[in-house]
Amino acid sequence: MRGITKVYPNGVVANDRVDFTVQAGEIHGLVGENGAGKTTLMKLLYGLEQPTEGEIRLRGQAVQIRNPHVAIDLGIGMVHQNFMLVPEFTVAENIVLGLEPQQRGFIDREKSVEITQDLARQYGLQVSAAARIDTIPVGMRQRVEILKTLYRGAEILILDEPTAVLTPQETMDLFAAVKTLVRQGKTVIFISHKLREMKAVADRVTVMRDGRVMGTLPVAEATEETLAQMMVGRKVLLRVEKPPARRGNPVLQVHDLKYVSETGHQALRGVSFNVHSGEIFGIAGVEGNGQTELVEILTGLRIATAGTVTLTDKAVTNRTPRTVRQAGMSHVPEDRLRNGVALPASIAENIVVDRYFAPPFTKYGWWMETGEVKKTAEDLMEEFDIRAPDSEVPVRALSGGNMQKVVLARELSRSPKALVAAQPTRGIDIGATEFAHRELVRIRDRGAAVLLVSADLSEVMALSDRLAVMHSGEIVAVFDRPRQLTEEEVGLYMLGLKRQERVH
Amino acid sequence: MPLGEVLAGIFSVTLAAGVLRVTTPILLPALGGLISDLAGVINIALEGTMLLAAFVGVVVSAYTHSAWLGLAAALAAAAIFSLILAFVHLDLKADLILAGIAMNFLASGGTVFVMYSLTGDKGTSSELASLTMPYVHVPILQSIPVLGPILSGQNLIVYVAFLMVALVWVFLYRTVWGMHLRAVGANPDAAATAGIDVRRTRYQALVLSGLLAGLGGVHMSMGYLQLFQRDMTAGRGFIALAAVFLGGRHPVGTMFAALLFGAADALANQLGSLRIPPQYVQMIPYVVTVVALAAYAIAQQRAVMQRQRRIQVRQAASD
Amino acid sequence: MTIEVAAAHPARAAERARFQRERRRQALAQVVRTLSTVLIALGLGFIITVFVSDKPVQAYVALLAGPLSSTARVGTWIEDATTLTMLGLAFAVVFRAKQFSLLAEGQLYLGALAAGLIALKLEAPGVLHLGIAMLAAAAAGFAFGLIPGALKAYYGANEIVSTLMLNVVAVRMYDLLLTYWLKPPGAGYTWSNPFPASAIFTRFLEGSRINTALFVAVGLVVLTWLLVYKTPLGYELRMVGANLDFARYGGINERRVIMLSMALAGIPAALAGAHLAMGVHQRLLLNISLGLAFEGLVVALMAGNHPLIVPFAALLYSYLRIGGDIMERTAAVGSDIVRVIQATIILFITAELLVGFARRRQARRIAHAAG
Repeated sequence: MRGITKVYPNGVVANDRVDFTVQAGEIHGLVGENGAGKTTLMKLLYGLEQPTEGEIRLRGQAVQIRNPHVAIDLGIGMVHQNFMLVPEFTVAENIVLGLEPQQRGFIDREKSVEITQDLARQYGLQVSAAARIDTIPVGMRQRVEILKTLYRGAEILILDEPTAVLTPQETMDLFAAVKTLVRQGKTVIFISHKLREMKAVADRVTVMRDGRVMGTLPVAEATEETLAQMMVGRKVLLRVEKPPARRGNPVLQVHDLKYVSETGHQALRGVSFNVHSGEIFGIAGVEGNGQTELVEILTGLRIATAGTVTLTDKAVTNRTPRTVRQAGMSHVPEDRLRNGVALPASIAENIVVDRYFAPPFTKYGWWMETGEVKKTAEDLMEEFDIRAPDSEVPVRALSGGNMQKVVLARELSRSPKALVAAQPTRGIDIGATEFAHRELVRIRDRGAAVLLVSADLSEVMALSDRLAVMHSGEIVAVFDRPRQLTEEEVGLYMLGLKRQERVH
Repeated sequence: MPLGEVLAGIFSVTLAAGVLRVTTPILLPALGGLISDLAGVINIALEGTMLLAAFVGVVVSAYTHSAWLGLAAALAAAAIFSLILAFVHLDLKADLILAGIAMNFLASGGTVFVMYSLTGDKGTSSELASLTMPYVHVPILQSIPVLGPILSGQNLIVYVAFLMVALVWVFLYRTVWGMHLRAVGANPDAAATAGIDVRRTRYQALVLSGLLAGLGGVHMSMGYLQLFQRDMTAGRGFIALAAVFLGGRHPVGTMFAALLFGAADALANQLGSLRIPPQYVQMIPYVVTVVALAAYAIAQQRAVMQRQRRIQVRQAASD
Repeated sequence: MTIEVAAAHPARAAERARFQRERRRQALAQVVRTLSTVLIALGLGFIITVFVSDKPVQAYVALLAGPLSSTARVGTWIEDATTLTMLGLAFAVVFRAKQFSLLAEGQLYLGALAAGLIALKLEAPGVLHLGIAMLAAAAAGFAFGLIPGALKAYYGANEIVSTLMLNVVAVRMYDLLLTYWLKPPGAGYTWSNPFPASAIFTRFLEGSRINTALFVAVGLVVLTWLLVYKTPLGYELRMVGANLDFARYGGINERRVIMLSMALAGIPAALAGAHLAMGVHQRLLLNISLGLAFEGLVVALMAGNHPLIVPFAALLYSYLRIGGDIMERTAAVGSDIVRVIQATIILFITAELLVGFARRRQARRIAHAAG
């Protein structure tokens, strides 16, 4: 792939003059943080997107990959993070779906099983051909996905963050399988942010950052430091003006939180930390290391498998969102479109969802004062600079930045004792980002305990008074003076290459 | 009258034969509903489709003096009707339920309207000399004691209906087409990435379900009865959907569920002589469906919770 | 600082005025769209009528002007609209919360049954008798709605299937009690004795069955509007319908709301049944409603699920129904053509033909107004 540039219609430059070469028969790791452009690059290779500029050459020939079918015909197969499997069908059925061995319209079931078993044997990917997908573990499901691509004649396999959902044992199995595939002449491209794993399995590694390729090296030559530096170093350092924090007592206490998902994946392995009033406690980390689950558990949207959460000495573990909010917790969610706002509802309606049931908005327990709602909304719109002509405007008409301001207006105006902010500046413009940062500091200075979870390293480093790093469901480091750190150092922890001995 | 005699009178061979006859107009649309549900586009307009087919069959057979032409026209009408529903939902993005309700209204009003214009009668088509589908007498089966009158002498469509259960089963689980259909309903994204045209498959599913419902409608006006009455389907299109869910969304289960509804219907009428209000028996299948629905939903929830607990226990053990 | 604020305000005010104007335009456009749908449907109906009748114009005149041709007919129109208004309110409530409960038919029957039981088996003075009957009906509708409501809210059971099934159960129960208890013993027919004067809604127009339940309907319209827009529960209902994840995140007990939406919708539906029993027929009889609930669904659709618009949609819809009856009686054209017209209306409203196009323009306009 040469000179690949991809610019999305909203102006985001996902790939910037990328040169990427993969040699036949190698395992090539493509690493980078979230948003580095690696997934986009592979989408271009698989035909899910078209490059704005640049060309792709396969075995010396220039090719145009207009859609996944073309990619498959060219021998490129992709295993996505979200599996595309039919739960009620068996392994064999899923593998042959769309290309079934048939006799005049009737499925040849024995042949399907035979094909599956042959493929499995040939590539060392152990699967139970007759088992239903919804009864087999995640590791096997992934092997089914791989076999699907092999059945369609894939020579080049792209694996997108394959170890995200696997247990350590399953990860080992996967690596063995990948090695077997390569021995059989396949080429594998491995997208990941887990450097340790890349070093274990890849031959060469390409590092991407901010849409550019930072370099390609053989794994043997790459030290952890070099890799981290390439992945994480930034040219412009974000500086936020903030007065020194005045830390008080611990307000939010999290102890030994564990969470195991339905598929058996252990997302949280015993997370403990405290957030004090008047401080911003940041959690840095690449997305997918348990942060989403952590935030949802803290805010009552998910039930923990074990552990406790306390808010000013009130136990709030596994309580309803309302109870948690009443105890003094606010939550800026990571996906505002999903649950931060209700698009068809007005700004005013969106703002009062956490307080509509009490005076002054509700009198006598059953009469809602719409006048009060309107007034509060207008005041908040003024205070938070929400650009809209009227509080009755439906939120779906607002820009991303304005929508986030609605969320902030709501969550910050409650004078919370603790604020959990997850990816607060995702997808919003510079102006709104700066505004959000200022508000976070402001609420901190009013005595709130702020937990900031962000995959944006510069943001979390600039804002945090204390900084923790999360990797694979654990807190692997806590720093009391983040100002003295470099991004590369933090990067090492984020990528699982280093961890502190004793984490407090 | 001694109880024994009464019971014998009720649970008679005539009743059993009647059950098969009564089940057919439930079973056929139920199989249609099953196919459409498995493809992810549950056909709410089965009721209207049946009604339309019942009507077209009567009219065409009366004017062409051929029952078979009537059947053909009825099935064609059912197919076109379903195509309209499919188009409105799949291409015009209308809500499936509301579009289905609209089509039912269309059929209900349209059939009576045309009947009135043709015969001047708003209630029935008795003016028209419509024909019926043939009755089949199977020589070997006929002579079996007890079962004979049940298995032989039924209308052709009754046999076809039960045969359809097997055919639908083979279609769904042994053909490529059926597998694609089930994939589209279970995980349309997976089907799409496997190269299956989701929209086209759903179109096909709706037309197939319409054809089956249409056949059920033809049975009603050209077998069960010998004329068309306004709204003669009397909710069977919806009972059919209940039968699909009660039968666990599987052809054989659907058949048994349809039989349950049919048996209750047939039995209810007979129970008058025992001074048990027929409504009790009529209610049974519906209550059963709701209970089954609830039980299924509760069981699902329990299963999820159990899985969570098992994982937690394993977790605690390994710590 | 002060200078900036002062400068901001006049600009703000102008923007706000522009937005309000735009919103009014949108509302008007929506009404126009619904009316044009009705007109198109009527047009189609006319084309069909031309083919089947030799006096199509006369038939259509009967359809379009019939309900106004005599006071009795106007009364019938309003009486039918009363029932449909109450049913429309029932659907508007559940649809606001995005629940597909079709239980209104069953709730209607149980409401009629409860009212009938109180009317026939209880003795009480005048208004009290009526009042208790209405209360009983409302309670029956509410309680019945709790069943599928709880099943959906707490166990995720599909409400379309459960409500359809429960409808049949309700109707059978009604038939049962009517046939074996409430109908005069030994009678050859299946309807109850007429209700005592203390338990009927007084009719007030000679020649039609329009009755005082009209005021109950008006009251229900106001109450429903208040519920949906002026109470915390109504807010919760609307938010659950707007975005369920958001409602949960914000602290709303979405399960309770789902359950209550189906139960509360039962009150107007059951009162529609009470209206039929105590006002229109003044006795209980079989098939007191022949799928009227589904017509209520269409009314709610046409009204965009807004309680204050429901009565107008009901009036329009009933007008067509009554007009159809008159057309049939005077011009020998089947009234079922009205069914076809209704079907066309539903299809046009739910298909994105008109709606999608308009919605895109609306979104663009509002975004523009929002700057």
